[in-house]
Amino acid sequence: MNTRFDEIENRIKDLLASYLESSGLPELEQHGAISGNTNLVSDFTLDSFQVMEFLMEMEESFDIMIDMNNLSNAHTVNELAKVVDALLEK
Amino acid sequence: MALLDKFASTLSIREKLGAAGQDPTSVVIDELISPTEGMVRGRYTILAGTNNYLGLTFDPACVAAGKKAIDELGTGTTGSRMANGSFAAHTALERDLADFFQLPYGMVFSTGYAANLGMLSALVKPGDTVLLDADCHASLYDGCQMSGANLFRFRHNDLSSLEKRLQRLGDEAKNCLLITEGMYSVLGDTAPLAGIVELKNRYGALLLVDEAHSLGVYGENGCGVAEAEGVSGEVDFLVGTFSKSLGAMGGFCVSPHPELELIRYVSRPFIFTASSSPSIIASTREALRQLRARPELRETLWRNANRLYQGLEALGLPLGPQVSPVVAVRLSRDQEPLSRWNRLLNAGVYTNLMIPPASPDGFSYFRCSVSAAHTEEQLEKIISAFASL
Repeated sequence: MNTRFDEIENRIKDLLASYLESSGLPELEQHGAISGNTNLVSDFTLDSFQVMEFLMEMEESFDIMIDMNNLSNAHTVNELAKVVDALLEK
Repeated sequence: MALLDKFASTLSIREKLGAAGQDPTSVVIDELISPTEGMVRGRYTILAGTNNYLGLTFDPACVAAGKKAIDELGTGTTGSRMANGSFAAHTALERDLADFFQLPYGMVFSTGYAANLGMLSALVKPGDTVLLDADCHASLYDGCQMSGANLFRFRHNDLSSLEKRLQRLGDEAKNCLLITEGMYSVLGDTAPLAGIVELKNRYGALLLVDEAHSLGVYGENGCGVAEAEGVSGEVDFLVGTFSKSLGAMGGFCVSPHPELELIRYVSRPFIFTASSSPSIIASTREALRQLRARPELRETLWRNANRLYQGLEALGLPLGPQVSPVVAVRLSRDQEPLSRWNRLLNAGVYTNLMIPPASPDGFSYFRCSVSAAHTEEQLEKIISAFASL
């Protein structure tokens, strides 16, 4: 059964795939499918600017505001989904 | 991982930066000939990346003021103002700045970076909220991080993105600090401050504007972009630096709020830093006098900015969005930045190389900063060097 958390995680995977494609980053094909464990920096070598850009895309897609001081433990798709889940819970 | 292993990746980056010849982060200017000329690696070089907008670093009156202060007050203050006392010149400079901006309160910090760290870490605390333009300088991000406040970004210069976030905050918007710059340092574009002020008034927020690159550059009196947009009285905290148009080193904040005087007691980057040396304070005070007395410096700066922008535009180069004393030339993704930057340097032109993630949009840029001290001949040489790339 698809939980709300799964839906959030799947949406982040889709957003990441389209961000990589629109940014002309070639890593997607080499990496294969994006999973919950996909790490934005170590798997796709996104630099800090690109991570910030992607977070802005996430904010707009989920209609949330992500606190920049609250991201120190959010590196993977799964960890980002937890952040989004907690914000939507409020 | 051992403590020092983390530097392996930095070493690798440093090796890549130097692979094309000169590492752009380690340029040594062996000799300065003028505010816009120096010797680099034995070669005469036009300096087009100094932020020396008014060219005051060799101004005879500023140099004389600095020398006199050393003679009379010594080389340094040897301590912080809270513990060791202020020199009269520190408080005089604070009064000069308040008078220049026509605001009642002024405060001086030892660097521009310390001004932003010192102001933000004192102004906002955990539980408070900050809305920050995404392209703001690292010192503003670091100050927010040090404060522990909730930190949200809005899209660069995008009023609708800012308003959307203010709406989301609801009542919390009244307890929110908005942060922007005047002129942004990489692309030379300016903030829509009139619109930002309208939003801050409508939602009851406070506004801090960093005019580090716009002091002496924008506005009828050179006060910055807020003055140029007619909203200088509406900015709650205006911060800036002495290390660009004023040709020295240090930072400041001016404000209509009496609470600025209390920030001295709670701002750790202010309390625990040695105060600026007498020569710095003296040359800064003189440079501020020059800025006020010689509007022709600003006129020359803008004439030079227009000449460089138009000259590079005529070469078909993609430039920043508006004419300003920062002229940024964007490289396409297939243009290797390091070797091209080295070719410019070897042609006798020093620019700043901005590469991702330090650049604001993922592209690499050659960033030129124009000075009132650039001669027409120097500007033509810069344009010729770009033409030869």
